[in-house]
Amino acid sequence: MQKLVSICLLLLSLAVQAQNIKEYDLYVTDTVVNYTGKSIEAIAINGKIPGPELHFTEGDTAVIRVHNMMHHETSVHWHGLLLPNEEDGVPYLTTVPIKPMSVHTYKFPLKQSGTYWYHSHTMLQEQSGMYGAFIIHKKDEPKMPEYTMLLSDWTDLNPHQVERMLHKENDWFSIKKGATQNYGQAIKQGKFGTKFTNEWKRMRAMDVSDVYYERFFANGKTDVEAPEFKPGDKVRIRIINGSSSTYFWLNYAGGKMDVVASDGSEVVPVPVDRFIVGTSETYDVIVTIPPKGVAYELAATSEDRMGQTSLWLGKGVKQLANPLQRLNYFEGMQMMNDMITLGGNMKDIGMKMSLQQMDMNVVMYPEISGAQMNEMNMQGMDSKKMDGMQDMKGYDHYSMQGNSSIVTLNYNMLKSPVKTTLPDKPFRELHFTLTGNMNRYVWTADNKTISETDKILIKAGENVRIIITNNSMMRHPMHLHGHFFRVVNQHGEYSPLKNVLDIMPMETDTIEFNASEEYGDWFFHCHILYHMMSGMGRIFTYKNSPPNPQLPDAAAALKKVYADDKRYYFSADVGLESNGSDGELRLENTRNFIDAEWRLGYNDDSGYETEAHIGRYLDNKQFLAVYTGWDFRYHNTLDRERNFFGQQSTQAQRAVACLGVIYVLPWFVESDLRVDHKGNVRLQFTRQDIPVTSRLRLWGSWNTDYEYSVGSRYILTRYWSLSAHYDSDMGLGGGLAFTY
Amino acid sequence: MNLFYKIVVPVFFIASLQANAQIKNAKTEILTVQGNCNMCKETIEKTATEKKVSEAAWDKDSHKLTLTYDSTKTTSDALLKKVAYAGYDNEKYLAPTEAYNKLPGCCQYDRQAEASAQTAMHESHMGKTQETPAETSILKEVYTSYFTLKDALVKSNGVAAATASAQLVKALKAVPMDKMEHSAHMVWMKNLPALQEGAEHIAETKDIKHQRDHFVTLSDALYTVAKAFEMDETVYYQHCPMYNNGKGANWLSLDKEVKNPYYGSKMLSCGSTTETLK
Repeated sequence: MQKLVSICLLLLSLAVQAQNIKEYDLYVTDTVVNYTGKSIEAIAINGKIPGPELHFTEGDTAVIRVHNMMHHETSVHWHGLLLPNEEDGVPYLTTVPIKPMSVHTYKFPLKQSGTYWYHSHTMLQEQSGMYGAFIIHKKDEPKMPEYTMLLSDWTDLNPHQVERMLHKENDWFSIKKGATQNYGQAIKQGKFGTKFTNEWKRMRAMDVSDVYYERFFANGKTDVEAPEFKPGDKVRIRIINGSSSTYFWLNYAGGKMDVVASDGSEVVPVPVDRFIVGTSETYDVIVTIPPKGVAYELAATSEDRMGQTSLWLGKGVKQLANPLQRLNYFEGMQMMNDMITLGGNMKDIGMKMSLQQMDMNVVMYPEISGAQMNEMNMQGMDSKKMDGMQDMKGYDHYSMQGNSSIVTLNYNMLKSPVKTTLPDKPFRELHFTLTGNMNRYVWTADNKTISETDKILIKAGENVRIIITNNSMMRHPMHLHGHFFRVVNQHGEYSPLKNVLDIMPMETDTIEFNASEEYGDWFFHCHILYHMMSGMGRIFTYKNSPPNPQLPDAAAALKKVYADDKRYYFSADVGLESNGSDGELRLENTRNFIDAEWRLGYNDDSGYETEAHIGRYLDNKQFLAVYTGWDFRYHNTLDRERNFFGQQSTQAQRAVACLGVIYVLPWFVESDLRVDHKGNVRLQFTRQDIPVTSRLRLWGSWNTDYEYSVGSRYILTRYWSLSAHYDSDMGLGGGLAFTY
Repeated sequence: MNLFYKIVVPVFFIASLQANAQIKNAKTEILTVQGNCNMCKETIEKTATEKKVSEAAWDKDSHKLTLTYDSTKTTSDALLKKVAYAGYDNEKYLAPTEAYNKLPGCCQYDRQAEASAQTAMHESHMGKTQETPAETSILKEVYTSYFTLKDALVKSNGVAAATASAQLVKALKAVPMDKMEHSAHMVWMKNLPALQEGAEHIAETKDIKHQRDHFVTLSDALYTVAKAFEMDETVYYQHCPMYNNGKGANWLSLDKEVKNPYYGSKMLSCGSTTETLK
């Protein structure tokens, strides 16, 4: 390993700078890292996480050889770069995947300058460490000291486990974060009604992010020091959010920062106290190095406030930046309650929100929840609409606390130094609504995944305008490959250019770009890794594109692209209690599920039952599903002769095939109506996982055969819980439950 | 009984040993931490102490913190960072501005390194300061009747206090809210119920003790309001540490000299000015 790394470094240092060709060799290897005391598998480039910082000058031709030294395939995407489609690096869509133990050479001219980055576009490799900075300097750049701060998030869990747990709606991450927002907590804070209404409207406790991360890094470290700058120097900090699903708040101990570029493209400098960097966005800021003897903290705090990483600029005693306070979860919940209908849609409250200027998250930030509401740019909301706002209780008192002098960046403040108007060509207008189902972790646009939609055809040269609304409850950093788009804002002709648009819940934004490429497929997707993998995105394809020589079998390749969001996730709940065992195994994907359940007693009195189902979700919100399956059971006793519907009870002995409908009622009561092939009907109501405290869950169930059970579960670890329940057949029991 | 001595007692003994266990892998360092009073001492020591991990003792005069910690579990760096977050500059970390500003008045020691740097930074960026529209006259009547009320309480004159308070109730109703700037208006709305309730109660009784009890909440609410509005004369926010069995109480005054409305002539000059509002 040592040897390999030194060879890599040697090769890298040999990178030739002949004329205007700049070459790099990237060696991708499996590696083991230890950030928290546990040894974890990860992916390194040239022996490091993050990979090497690549530097170029505008006008260079980049030649980058990627050596895949792992036993599985990989890819590298050059984020934000304008390049020929086959160099874009999306495996199977634009570029051939890099097979194990092989080399792939990328070669493209650099037509732009600024701060960009690169990362794997294969499955979840990005989360394992496969990313690095890609910096293109201007040809005649005035000399200015600079520093690149590449941010990332780290979990000790295997990213595939993370993904599976998200799809199972496992709340282990919330427990780790202290963000379960349970009833106990709600009562303590006098928010029981808020919590109940929230569940009544079928919303699970939501956070600003989904995954619990053990560490946040700047250039692979929690604390990174840059003592090399001189006191009073103005330094350009290139900030890249290379995380998989984290937004970072940036603030500086030395006061205001001048934002000078976003996503690589320049903006008119704007001084701010703090700004948020969405997943995959980049910002360049200019900060002043402190006087002699002091180092200032440039702090990057995860939006959920669970951790931070710091860059220390200057040399000496460390001046801390103001820490961000914990989120007011119940304030956010109250806000959601006010804005969501019982059906789970956003109410039309007559407010137009756009460009990061306001969102429901803001009320959760204790340090700005006040000031924001006052200072915020309120154009787009005329006074009549403001009246509507007053009706939303809970809104106006937010403006009371808070430091009104804090300037927070939003997209409306970004102004391009040059006109960005598009060529005088016809516009094609597209509308997207971002949609999602938090409970099953299905993320979509217009309720369809990537694989469920056709590619969107565009003509070379035409202008494309996308009006995009976020009707989901999370923010989404939407990234367009290979093009810059204008984010239409108050600056009109000088609207800024970006390639990632962070869109907050309830916002509507307009972006425009000229189809300036000639051919190929270009991905447009949410850059939160787990959202993208669940299918949140679309593919733009140029009309009359020539066949891609890298992908000779286009149909088979596209199938591979679509396979990502069609995958099935396995989960299991198995209980072993003193009165028997019950459990469920489940496989599910975006629309379908297969499950098998059992309730096995230790003797004929308590009985044996097993059911299995194959089903499909029908509606957008996935409250409604139909299924078919079987039900076998044997008991030697019969509680009642007749069921609720007056039919002869078959509770004692049954071997039937059945058809059923499941509908999730308010407060997450799952109703399950089924009829078996003998004509017997059963209606069952179940409520799972009522969060009483951070780790205590209650549940209950009743059906028209007069069977019922109630139980509780105390979560010990990610997999194990203590459980106890009373069942009308099996009686009282206690034991252990296993959750996978 | 035998069993009790054989099992229970040793178990308790071990448990208690555990609780008082010395810090393992102990390392001791003496570090400089800024601060200037006994309250600082309490906060600094509490912040730097972690059960079974670290112990701390800070000396007010030398500004030295003696830190003993388990070197396998923490570092002096981590502990000093916590101390800085609590508001205290030290040899490794300087406190965030907000943390320092939040320290009680008596704890706001003179900062050294931070001050020069921050001011230099701020000047270059202080282009626009927030303009607050002149709103002073809006609350003029409120202040006038409040101060009359306060003077009546200083003189322990319950009848005069009730009259002044009735005047205050009227003044509160007459405030032209439409002339308020938005954020100030919000503060006003939040505190108005407390102001009204306090004033009404005082006006309804001639019992000086009751009046003083209500004057506590009334004064607190008016103080919050006063902070949100521009003042046209200097007002002093004063504190009596004794009132209500040592819980303390505050009031607003036009005089810098303390004249205690809570005890009157009994201890007229007891108290201190905690803040000057301009």
